[in-house]
Amino acid sequence: MANIAAQRIKREFKEVIKSEEVAKCAIKVELVSDSYTELKGEIAGPPDTPYEGGNFVLEIKVPETYPFNPPKVRFLTKIWHPNISSVTGAICLDILKDQWAAAMTLRTVLLSLQALLSAAEPDDPQDAVVAKQYKDAPDMFRLTARYWTAAYAGGPYSNPDFDSKIRRLTDMGIESHDARVALSSFNWDLERATEQLFS
Amino acid sequence: MVDVGSASASSSGSNQNNSNPGEEDKKDERMFECNICLDTAKDAVVSMCGHLFCWPCLHQWLETRPARQMCPVCKAAISKEKVIPLYGRGSSKQEDPRNKAPPRPAGQRSEPEANTHFPGLGFHGSFMSFGIGAFPFGFITSSFHFGDNRPFAATHDTQSAEEQFLSKVFLWVALAFLIWLLLA
Ligand SMILES: [Zn+2]
Ligand SMILES: [Zn+2]
Repeated sequence: MANIAAQRIKREFKEVIKSEEVAKCAIKVELVSDSYTELKGEIAGPPDTPYEGGNFVLEIKVPETYPFNPPKVRFLTKIWHPNISSVTGAICLDILKDQWAAAMTLRTVLLSLQALLSAAEPDDPQDAVVAKQYKDAPDMFRLTARYWTAAYAGGPYSNPDFDSKIRRLTDMGIESHDARVALSSFNWDLERATEQLFS
Repeated sequence: MVDVGSASASSSGSNQNNSNPGEEDKKDERMFECNICLDTAKDAVVSMCGHLFCWPCLHQWLETRPARQMCPVCKAAISKEKVIPLYGRGSSKQEDPRNKAPPRPAGQRSEPEANTHFPGLGFHGSFMSFGIGAFPFGFITSSFHFGDNRPFAATHDTQSAEEQFLSKVFLWVALAFLIWLLLA
């Protein structure tokens, strides 16, 4: 790894663990490898969003050309959000692409991702299905996102109706995650979800 | 009353100073950190928007995105030509900066506004009353060299052509000024 990249990540790492956001448990960074090429980030779901109460883990890969090129970041925790793939966790955020600037840091990236959870941009979607629901059925979107936060990120919310629909599918031998995806994608219409799963 | 108040204020002030001198030092140091490598800026340059970088760091950033030349901090437009190098007192040691990046652009020096070229204008109001007639001719002949009769014209080949051109321009300006004075 290029010297400047490792040096900078080392400095940033020290800085971010002392930051007030870490003190408030809003963000967190951990080393995955000793070489500072791979880190694990964590952001708390912002209050007054469907992600509140959840803890979202991120994979952060630092390229050799860092900080001249952005880190590669994706969600490891499954999340229901227009700008994040519900399948791969890939993120569509301008600062992780062409709007990256060399003065940005791990801290600003994590805070930007947290801001993205508060303010989705459905017109620049990563996950077309989620984005469509966000626009066409906002209430259904909020319920679904909260449900995912509870299922994957430790959120406190529960929804017995959704639970029972998932159980109907798992009883038919469907994996619970696949059932959740299918139901979420069809606005929790059990019939259409079943149709899609068995087609 | 007043004495007591000010005494306690000053003592608490000095207490504060004593409590965290290290913190202050750190802040001072961080003032001069490069915004890209986060280390103390080496071969420091500052952009027109006021952001500090190592020249090698900024150069590499501009090379990485040739199509979008923007400040890494505030995203203002930025260009290699428009950065100002910083020469601190301790930076006199001239390491060859071409080891890794092209030489840092040089500082641009412009001469201070020289009164000598326009002895009569603005600054010395009395001059105008001195005599309009004498001024422009003396001014032209003393300040601008006519033609090639300069002793060092031959030695400064490339410069002399430029200087000649400039002196001609100034001559015409001076003549225009003279005509304007006569008409006025
Ligand atoms: Zn630097
Ligand atoms: Zn700037």
